[in-house]
Amino acid sequence: MDSPALELRGIDMHYGYVRALDTIDIEVRQGEVLGLLGDNGAGKSTLLKVMSGVHQPTAGEIRVHGTPATFASPADSTHAGIQMVYQDLALVDAQDISTNLNLGREILRKGPLGWLGFVDHKAQRRRSAAELEKLGVRTAAVTRPVEMLSGGQRQVVALARGATRVAGAERNGVLLLDEPTAALGYEQTQQVQALIRRLADQGVACILVTHNLPLAMAVCDRIAVLNRGRKVADVPVAETDNDQLVGWITGARPSMF
Amino acid sequence: MAVTIAPAARAAGAEKDKDPAVIRSLIFVRDRGIFVLWALLLIAFSIWASPYFASVDNAILIANAAAITAIFAAGVAVGIIGGALDLSIPGTAALAGCVCGWLITHGTPTWLSIVAALALGAVVGVINGLITLRGFNPIIVTIGTLSAMSGLAAVIVGGYTIPGLDSLTFMGTQRYLGVPAPVWIVAALFAAGTVFLTRTRDGIRMMAVGGNPEAVRRSGIHSNRYKVLGFVISGFCAALGGLVTTALVTEANPAASPGIIFNALTAVALAGVSLAGGRGSLPRVLVGALILGTISNALTLKGIQPYWATAVTGVLLLGSLALEKWVSTTVSRRLVLSAHASTHTGTR
Ligand SMILES: Nc1ncnc2c1ncn2[C@@H]1O[C@H](COP(=O)(O)OP(=O)(O)OP(=O)(O)O)[C@@H](O)[C@H]1O
Ligand SMILES: [Mg+2]
Repeated sequence: MDSPALELRGIDMHYGYVRALDTIDIEVRQGEVLGLLGDNGAGKSTLLKVMSGVHQPTAGEIRVHGTPATFASPADSTHAGIQMVYQDLALVDAQDISTNLNLGREILRKGPLGWLGFVDHKAQRRRSAAELEKLGVRTAAVTRPVEMLSGGQRQVVALARGATRVAGAERNGVLLLDEPTAALGYEQTQQVQALIRRLADQGVACILVTHNLPLAMAVCDRIAVLNRGRKVADVPVAETDNDQLVGWITGARPSMF
Repeated sequence: MAVTIAPAARAAGAEKDKDPAVIRSLIFVRDRGIFVLWALLLIAFSIWASPYFASVDNAILIANAAAITAIFAAGVAVGIIGGALDLSIPGTAALAGCVCGWLITHGTPTWLSIVAALALGAVVGVINGLITLRGFNPIIVTIGTLSAMSGLAAVIVGGYTIPGLDSLTFMGTQRYLGVPAPVWIVAALFAAGTVFLTRTRDGIRMMAVGGNPEAVRRSGIHSNRYKVLGFVISGFCAALGGLVTTALVTEANPAASPGIIFNALTAVALAGVSLAGGRGSLPRVLVGALILGTISNALTLKGIQPYWATAVTGVLLLGSLALEKWVSTTVSRRLVLSAHASTHTGTR
């Protein structure tokens, strides 16, 4: 069996005196959705920030496809094929969907106009439409400004933006999702759920932080639970149930380890 | 039409994505409403101030009268679109005019003096940008440079105006094909600016930075250089406006008139450029400046006191705000409706 897409060993993370993460071992494989559960302040966001290079761990080791890596900044983890989808601040409201999806990897026109930095809007729209279609996502027209999208549509575009950057490459990357459905209603949550599943089926490794237990049960292959910075459970979804998970989250149930 | 996650097979055979007619027409009103407003004003004034208003000569008069406002409005608009309100524009304009005048009276070729003044405007922009990047509020920073630049202008000319700059009339009162030079300059400036903002990578990124610098940064783009770029362009426009002002009266004046910024801001606000940054279009700004010129022209033709023009402009501005508010609330209401009608499939 090949090595995990992303693997963390013995990660410690201190915020001053606060020990936010305590010797965490965690891994996610290609095509797998790993759910990350835990109460408020358990360290879920901190763990994702370590994975995406926003924070540097105090101790421990990160491996990407088996190769040791150090992330000094978000740019490093992006380069290694890891994308974080943020709840907010991810999209430029006034610009349309296509421009948002192409930001930072614009297609220039051919010939002299391209040397002058002219963008090929048509080609960009075509590529965006194709990418969205490959993800099985239908949002509004790609020329629609993001500010004219509903909350669910925005979330899908933000997700798609991360997804197109991890799924397009020769090797599938890792997508980190911090509470992607927190602001969404039932219907829209279902849509995001379907998209995550579809990405995993295409071979992307996903880590999903959520407080929504039914969502985690429905979409994840495996669930890890954090409690005050320690990992207390790591089980395939098929081998656990709601009550067990709630027990680990609240601390009523003893750690698996 | 809301998000639909279709099975891949169905998505593959997708029909063309089109927004519903209502949303498209609302977007049209938001993006093109000011053109309609201007057309209505033109028609109304043609009837009301007939026969003097609707003539080629009067059109040229309006365009020429709006030219200065338009140039400064372009500077203000690009600054705001790029994320910062540049209040130093009158100071930069005065400085550019005085430096150009000083150079010409000290024997520098006219073209070189003009280039130097324009470059100086860009340099003021770089200074504004670099100071702002250190975390200071752009409004305060540019108020500071406003004073510094107009003070510097006065120092250069020794506190007096520099008259007799006749070599500048080619960009002032001179006409080409019957059209005054400032109108040509405005046309070139807005054409170039519009192409830059909507068609080039740097322009698009600059707008994106104005809208949401953090999103741009997370896309792996150095957003800081685009913040500076906005100031550089507005500094350039300020210098250009200062030069045209100087050329029109063949006299360089070190006094920085704050009225410049208010006129420009009115045109910009009328054009629906949000002060929050990241949105707006130069053609609309141009029409905004033209509307101001049109109103004062028509009222003058009818012999009405000019302060009425100011009052009418203010009312128009408030009216356009109300319209924009209505459009955005209507759009979001429609979106909520269509979101409920959405379907989903393919969930495991
Ligand atoms: N920037 C910071 N400085 C100091 N302490 C922090 C910082 N960020 C988080 N912490 C602390 O680290 C611990 C873990 O926080 P984290 O945000 O990772 O929790 P979480 O599991 O994401 O919680 P939630 O479900 O509420 O988002 C908490 O005790 C928190 O107070
Ligand atoms: Mg969190």
